[in-house]
Amino acid sequence: MLGRHGNNLYWMARYLERSENNARRIQATLHHYLSHKDEDHDEWGSIVAVSGFHDTFNLSYENRSMTNVINFLLRDRKNLNSIAVLMSNARQNGRSVRAYLTQEVWQSLNECWINCEYSLKRQVSIQNLPIILEDIVKGSSLFRGSLYGTMLHNDIFNFLRLGTFIERADNTARAINEKYYLLLETATTIGGQEDKPQWEILLRSLSAWRSFNWLKTGRLKPNEISDFLIFDKRMPRSIFFCVKELKENLDDLAVTYSKPYDSSELSNKLFSDLNVSSVANENKIDLRNFISNLIIQINTLNQKISNDFNF
Amino acid sequence: MFDEMHIEDGSLPRKPYKELYKWLSTQNYNQLSKKAAVAENIFRRIGITFNVYGNKDDQERLIPFDIIPRIILEEEWRRLEKGIVQRVAAINAFLSDVYNKQEIVKAGIVPSELINHNKAFLPQMCGFKPPGNIYTHIVGIDIVRTAENDFFVLEDNARVPSGVSYMIENRTTMKHMFPELFATNKVKSIADYPRQLFEALSKSGREICENPTIAVLTPGVHNSAYYEHSFLADEMGVELIQGTDLELDGGNIIINTTAGTQKVDVIYRRIDDEYLDPLSFNPHSLLGSPGIFDAYREKRLMLANAPGSGIADDKAVYSYMPEIIKFYMGEKPILNNIPTWRCSEKSSLSYVIENLRELVVKEVHGSGGYGMLVGPTSSNREIASFKRKLLRNPSNYIAQPTLSLSTVPILSKSGLAPRHVDLRPFVLVSPEDIKVTAGGLTRVALKKGSLVVNSSQGGGTKDTWVLES
Repeated sequence: MLGRHGNNLYWMARYLERSENNARRIQATLHHYLSHKDEDHDEWGSIVAVSGFHDTFNLSYENRSMTNVINFLLRDRKNLNSIAVLMSNARQNGRSVRAYLTQEVWQSLNECWINCEYSLKRQVSIQNLPIILEDIVKGSSLFRGSLYGTMLHNDIFNFLRLGTFIERADNTARAINEKYYLLLETATTIGGQEDKPQWEILLRSLSAWRSFNWLKTGRLKPNEISDFLIFDKRMPRSIFFCVKELKENLDDLAVTYSKPYDSSELSNKLFSDLNVSSVANENKIDLRNFISNLIIQINTLNQKISNDFNF
Repeated sequence: MFDEMHIEDGSLPRKPYKELYKWLSTQNYNQLSKKAAVAENIFRRIGITFNVYGNKDDQERLIPFDIIPRIILEEEWRRLEKGIVQRVAAINAFLSDVYNKQEIVKAGIVPSELINHNKAFLPQMCGFKPPGNIYTHIVGIDIVRTAENDFFVLEDNARVPSGVSYMIENRTTMKHMFPELFATNKVKSIADYPRQLFEALSKSGREICENPTIAVLTPGVHNSAYYEHSFLADEMGVELIQGTDLELDGGNIIINTTAGTQKVDVIYRRIDDEYLDPLSFNPHSLLGSPGIFDAYREKRLMLANAPGSGIADDKAVYSYMPEIIKFYMGEKPILNNIPTWRCSEKSSLSYVIENLRELVVKEVHGSGGYGMLVGPTSSNREIASFKRKLLRNPSNYIAQPTLSLSTVPILSKSGLAPRHVDLRPFVLVSPEDIKVTAGGLTRVALKKGSLVVNSSQGGGTKDTWVLES
């Protein structure tokens, strides 16, 4: 496989994962907005604030109204992380590696893109927002399903999985980083009140709300939430789960190409570090440092993957 | 006018269409129209789209697909097939000759001027024998029909013929939508084409390497035929590469893969000669790869089709094709040419100028239906302006009578309606044989009365059946 094509596969999966994550985040925010709209906490505004594109937003929009924010996040071509842009990037990458994908995988991606282009052509309003978001998430699931069900589990598959899990690990880490102060053990006492709605947004945007409740039977404790999102071995969006997948796919590649790789070594180190942290520290970690260090490591891993495989 | 479905009075089907005719009479027109919309949806979902150059708004377009198949009986096909094989063998012999001894020029059959001063003639190829002595491995021969037994070759595509992916996808789509038709009709399969292409390429490349590594070279995702390039690479299970992926390593052409570097032995290139290698051809080309032509000349690499094959595409050379076939094959041509006036010849030019209203005039290097005049459907103004162009550079044009191309019905908004068609069968050449895939791509002019079938000019396509008897 050409290194350039490895890069296309990797980024195709990253863009798709990012678009799904963004859609879930908007879903969680919408859910919050519809249940707590009397509060003056500006949830829509805060998505823009952490998007890294608030300058772009401020140039085009007068205020952070819900309509402005959702249109910015979903369909604004100037926002490089808008779902419309991410989907067209994913599809463009997919088109370059069309020959590596099964008919079903390619079609699920292409259809998802066609649907997005269609539904995001015009201004999006709150009436059709839930359905549009659901379609995006569904499209992503269809892609994942056909990937697992029809592709050979070979190097092509490995590069796609690497893209997915590096993006997902980064997303989970950033989501925790953004709200870390709400997850400190002292959080319950800081404001004198638990910030349950915020915890709910965080868990929902990582599609972990129900599973957390199911496991913890409704006890919402900040350190348990962070423990769950970082160390849980069963939760497909936990940092541990993502790192485990990264390690396994890189191990596979090292076997397939019979070479040792820096990226593989780093992923093994990250993996064993996470194993140690969860047991030895019993979660009494310095959350803020731990997470920002993790974000740096994920980025380093991303670079090492690019170097190792001639991207 | 010859309609391929109906016998003359339009009441009864011709033999090849008997079964289809029966089936059509049981169909509800609204249902069929709905199916046509389904077909379009399938094409869009699969991404069988093409880009139109210079069209910014709607970058990806579909080639319209008509669901009424075009049917040829096996006995009709056999004659076509024989004629095509003969013609393609002659084209390869001609290419080998013009790049070596030029016997055909010495024999006074083709003028030296036409060969040696031709834009498509590559002096860089002189004295070089490509692997297996094959120049054009992948060929498309455009054929038109005017009556029950009258088939003519319209043009030869010996350079980089396209459309084969549409042939295959049209069939796949038809089978998906009308499985019952394929259960009752014995339609010859075309599904083998990608494997045959792979074999033709590997057999031809054996001189380079026993088990050659094959790749398809595309100009990139923005090329109008990109879908086809990725389709063929996918179906053959080979790499789809761009010029920038290729590097020179000790005279060999290599690619950088995720597992390290890899030598490439055979390249099915979908890039024109001119852009192939900036060191040997157009120095400004960014599509090809420097050094690729030297590697080819040193037989470290095989290119399909060979650079310089385009000389056989030239429409003035086409006019000599009956003589070319006789010269190399020692046989009469099985398939006729369309009578052609070469405007480079004085007497022909004056005839053409006199009769522009009745003729079709084409540029010798033109393709895609661009730069041509269809006399009978052109306005006085268009004819006058074309005349000026023609007089400025007569040898750039040839002229042919306007043929009454056969029609096949399409499903139009008001039911079945006859439209003009042509046919591009696809041919594969290996050192062992010349294979023609049964059928080919039928292109259809969707506009009533129009004779221009090119997709860039409002043409569509149909599934083409060869019915076993």
